[in-house]
Amino acid sequence: MNADALARLADAAIEAASDATAVEVMSSRVSGGVTRFADSQIHQNTAKDLWEVAVRCVLADGRAGVTSISSDDPADAAVAGSRAVALARLAPPDPSFAGVAGPVPTPPSPWCDPATAATTAAERAAVVAEIVTETAGVSAAGSVATDLTECVVRTSAGADLYGARSGAQINLVLTGPASTGHAESGSHAIGELDPARAARRALGKVRAGADAGPVEPGEWPVVLEPSAVASLIQYLGFVGFGAKVVDEDRSFASGRFGEAVLDPKVTMVDDALDPQGRGFPFDPEGTPKQRVEFVRRGVLTGVAHDRQSAARAGTVSTGHALPPPNPFGPLPMDPFVLPGDGGGIDDLVAGTERGLLVTRFHYVNVLQPKETVLTGMTRDGTFLVEDGRVVRPVRNLRFTQSVVDALGEVREISSETGYGTEILGGGTQLPALALPRFRFSGATDFG
Amino acid sequence: MRTLAALGLDEATRAGADYADVRGMTLDTESVAVRGPEIEGVDRGTSRGIGVRVLAEGAWGFAATSRLDREAVLETARRAVAIARASATVRREPIALAPVDVQQGTWATPHARDPFDVGVEDKIGYLLAATGAAAATPGLTYARATCDARKSETWLLSSEGAAIHQTVLQVSGGLACVAVGEHEVQTRSYPNSFGGYAGTGGWEDIVALDLEAHAPRCAEEAVALLTAPELPGHVGTAVIGGSQLGLQVHESVGHALEFDRILGHEADFAGTSFVAPGDIGRLRYGSDLVGFTLDTTTPKGLGTFGYDDEGTPAGRHPLVVEGRLVDVLTNRETAPLLGPGRQSNGTMRAESWGAVPLVRMTNIHLEPDVGTLDELLSDTGSGVLMDTNRSWSIDDRRLNFQFGCEIAWEIRKGRRGRMLRNPTYTGRTPDFWGACDAIAGPDEWKVYGTPNCGKGQPMQVARVAHGAAPARFRDLRMGVR
Repeated sequence: MNADALARLADAAIEAASDATAVEVMSSRVSGGVTRFADSQIHQNTAKDLWEVAVRCVLADGRAGVTSISSDDPADAAVAGSRAVALARLAPPDPSFAGVAGPVPTPPSPWCDPATAATTAAERAAVVAEIVTETAGVSAAGSVATDLTECVVRTSAGADLYGARSGAQINLVLTGPASTGHAESGSHAIGELDPARAARRALGKVRAGADAGPVEPGEWPVVLEPSAVASLIQYLGFVGFGAKVVDEDRSFASGRFGEAVLDPKVTMVDDALDPQGRGFPFDPEGTPKQRVEFVRRGVLTGVAHDRQSAARAGTVSTGHALPPPNPFGPLPMDPFVLPGDGGGIDDLVAGTERGLLVTRFHYVNVLQPKETVLTGMTRDGTFLVEDGRVVRPVRNLRFTQSVVDALGEVREISSETGYGTEILGGGTQLPALALPRFRFSGATDFG
Repeated sequence: MRTLAALGLDEATRAGADYADVRGMTLDTESVAVRGPEIEGVDRGTSRGIGVRVLAEGAWGFAATSRLDREAVLETARRAVAIARASATVRREPIALAPVDVQQGTWATPHARDPFDVGVEDKIGYLLAATGAAAATPGLTYARATCDARKSETWLLSSEGAAIHQTVLQVSGGLACVAVGEHEVQTRSYPNSFGGYAGTGGWEDIVALDLEAHAPRCAEEAVALLTAPELPGHVGTAVIGGSQLGLQVHESVGHALEFDRILGHEADFAGTSFVAPGDIGRLRYGSDLVGFTLDTTTPKGLGTFGYDDEGTPAGRHPLVVEGRLVDVLTNRETAPLLGPGRQSNGTMRAESWGAVPLVRMTNIHLEPDVGTLDELLSDTGSGVLMDTNRSWSIDDRRLNFQFGCEIAWEIRKGRRGRMLRNPTYTGRTPDFWGACDAIAGPDEWKVYGTPNCGKGQPMQVARVAHGAAPARFRDLRMGVR
C-alpha cells in the first residue's frame, strides 16, 4: 500500500501552494488490469499504474485554480501546487467558495482486499478459461477486471484522509445461434466472484432466449431484473437527487420534499459504505461519505450535497462532491433501492398475469431530465410472461418512460438482490422490481 | 520521452515480444467555464506516461505507467510481455498483423495561435461576453460558456522501426442557454450541443465562433421552447440539420462499421453490428445518394492526425458509395481478415498513453450532394426541420435508434414555420438511410466534432468528427412517446 507516498505528494503540493488561503489536494494511485475476451478467446489484456495529484487552491477573495499532474514524484506535485496558485491569480473572485474541509476522523476502508489488489494477468486469464470451458458451444465475450484505488486527501485546514478500495468484476455476454445472454458479478474481493455461476446464468438466458418472437410495443407490466433496475435508478439519481439540480429547479424533486412521489414500497438511498456496494469512504473534498435517504416509503426526503451546495442550503456536506472543476454539482454515486419482501425474480414472475421479463437495458439516455424521461433498449434476454410463467422469448424493445412515473406504482420488490451496473457509476446489489406499467415505444427484429 | 520509449521497446523485445510498440505521451489540457457572470472553473492538467503494447506467443499484452523512471519503464515492458503470455493461454489462433510501410516522420496540427499561449483572462473575457449577451433575454435561467484546449505530444516507436513524433492540438468552445420551466428544462446550444465546436486547430477557431453574436438568438430560442407546442407523434418527412446528422452518422454508420465490433470484440459492452464481414461489397446501406467516407486528413477535423497509433499514415477511404457498403474501419490486426494483402485504413487510436489503441472512428463523413438548406426546405413543401442533438440511444446491433433534438420547426409551404419542442425521431439504420432522398451541397457541409465517443473496457473516450450537410428523410417516425 502507498499511503505514505501519496501523503508525500499531497504535502509537496500544499507546501508549493502556501501562498493560497486554502489548498485541497487529492493524490491517488489507480492500478489494476482488465482482461477482455470475445469469441471465447482473450483479445485485449491491459494493465495500468496511474499516479495523479489534483490540486485546488483558493486565494483570500475566493479566486480559485485547479490543476492536476500524473506523477509519483513530489517535485511534480509541487509544480502542480504552484501552477494552481498562478491560475487562481488569473481568475475572478468567487464569493460562493465554501472553504476546504478541516480535520475529521478517517473513515474505515472496509472494501480493500489485498488478494484482489495483487491479482495477476495469469489469474484473470484463469477466470476467463473457466468461463470459456463452462460455456462451450456458444461464443463468450466479456471482461474480468481487478483494480485497487488508493487516495489521500489533505487540506491546508487540516483534513488528512487515506482510503483504499479494491474491485473485481466479471461481465459476460454469450451469443448463441439465435440469442444472447448476460450475467455480471462484482465484489471488492475477487474470491467472492463465482465465474461458473455467472456462466451458467448467462447460458440459461441464451437457451431460453433462442428464436425470439415479436410482441407489440405499448404499455406492459414488467419484471425488471437487478441489471435493468441499476440503469433506472442510477439515471434517476443523476437527474434528480444532486443538490445543485434540485436548487436550480431542474429536478423533478425541486420544491417537492415531503411529498409522496413514488410508490410507498420504494425507499431509495445512496450509501457508499453499504456492504453490498463498492463505494469509496470519502469524497475529493475530504468529507466522509454519509448515507443519504432520497426517498423513504415513497416520500422525498433528501439530496446529495457537496461543501458548496451544503453552504448554500445551510447544512453540511454529505460527501458527494466530484473532483473539481465540477459543473454538475454533487451527485449520488452509490444509489440503492432497498429490497422488499417479494422473494426472488421467479416469485415476481409468478405474480405476473401477463407481462415482460427484462434482463437488462442497453444504451439508456435522458430525453427530458426534469420529467425523468429516459429511453433505451432491452438486451440479452427479454421474455413474455403469462399466467406467472415465462412462456417465450421476445425480440428487443425500446422503452421511452419517465422513471418517476414508472416507480409511482410498484407491484413488488424482491427480497433477493443481484449485482447490477450502469455506465454512470459502480455496481451495486439491487432487488428486482415488478411494475404494473412500463412504456415500450418501439421494437426490433432481433432478440 | 523518446529515450524512455526506446528503453521500453528494447526491454519488451528482450523479454520475448515478437512485436512491440511503445507510446510515450505528454498530454496537456486546459478548461475554462463560465456560467452567467461567474467563473465556474479554470483548470489545467498534465498527464504523462508510457504505454507498451506487445505481441508474444501470438497474443496481445498491454501495460502502462505514469512513473517515468527507468526502472518503472523496464518493469512495465516486462509486465506487458507477461500479460501477453497470459492472453495466449486462452487463445485459439495467433494474431497476425497486416504489413505496414514503416514510417519515420513528424506531424503537427496546423494552427495560427496555440491556445496555451492565450491568457486565461482573455478566455474568461471572451466567454463572459457571450453569457452576458445571453443574460439580457427575459426568462432565461442561465447561460454557460466553455472553451477547452488539449495538446498531445507523442513518440511512437515500434520493433519494426517506426519512429513517429506527433503533436495534435485540439480546441473546443461553445455556449449553452438554459431555460427552466415548471415541468421542463430547455437548452439551446451554439454551435452544437455537448461543448459546442470541437476540432483540431488553434485559438483562432474559437474566436471565429463569435459566441457573443450568437448568444441572444440562442437564449431567445431556449425561452421560446418552454411554451412551444410539442412535436406531435406522426410519420412524415423530416429535414435533419447537419449537427444532428453528424451524430446520426456516428451511431448508425461509424460504430456499425468498426471491423472489431463486426467481429464481436465489443459484444460485452456496447454490442456488435448488424453488418457482417460478408456484407462488404454487397450490403445496401442507404439510397443511391448516400455516401460515407473515412478521412483522417480533413482540415480541422477532431479526428485528424498524421499517423494512427499503429503508425499507419492518415488517408481518405470510401466506406459507402452510392448507397453500397464498400469498406469498414480496420487496423493491422483485422485488415488481413478482409483478404490477403489488405492494409489497415488507419483507425487505431488510444484515449491516452494509459489505454490500448482500438479501432476508432476518426473522421467519418456523409458526403454532400447539391443545393442549400433553403432550397431543400422549398423543395420539401411540408414536414419537420430539426437539429442539434439532445439525446441519443441505439441498440446493441446499431439498428434501432432514437434521437432527441433541441429544437424543431414545422416546414410549411417550403419555409421554416412555427417552433416545436421536444422533437424526437426513431428508425432502423438501413431503412433510415434508404429513405434519404436529398442531401444539401458543399456550401452547407460542415465538420462537427464529437468529443465524447465511448468504446472499450475500460471505457475510452475518443474525439472524433463527422462532416454532414442537412438532408431529407421520408416516412420517418417522429414525436416518439
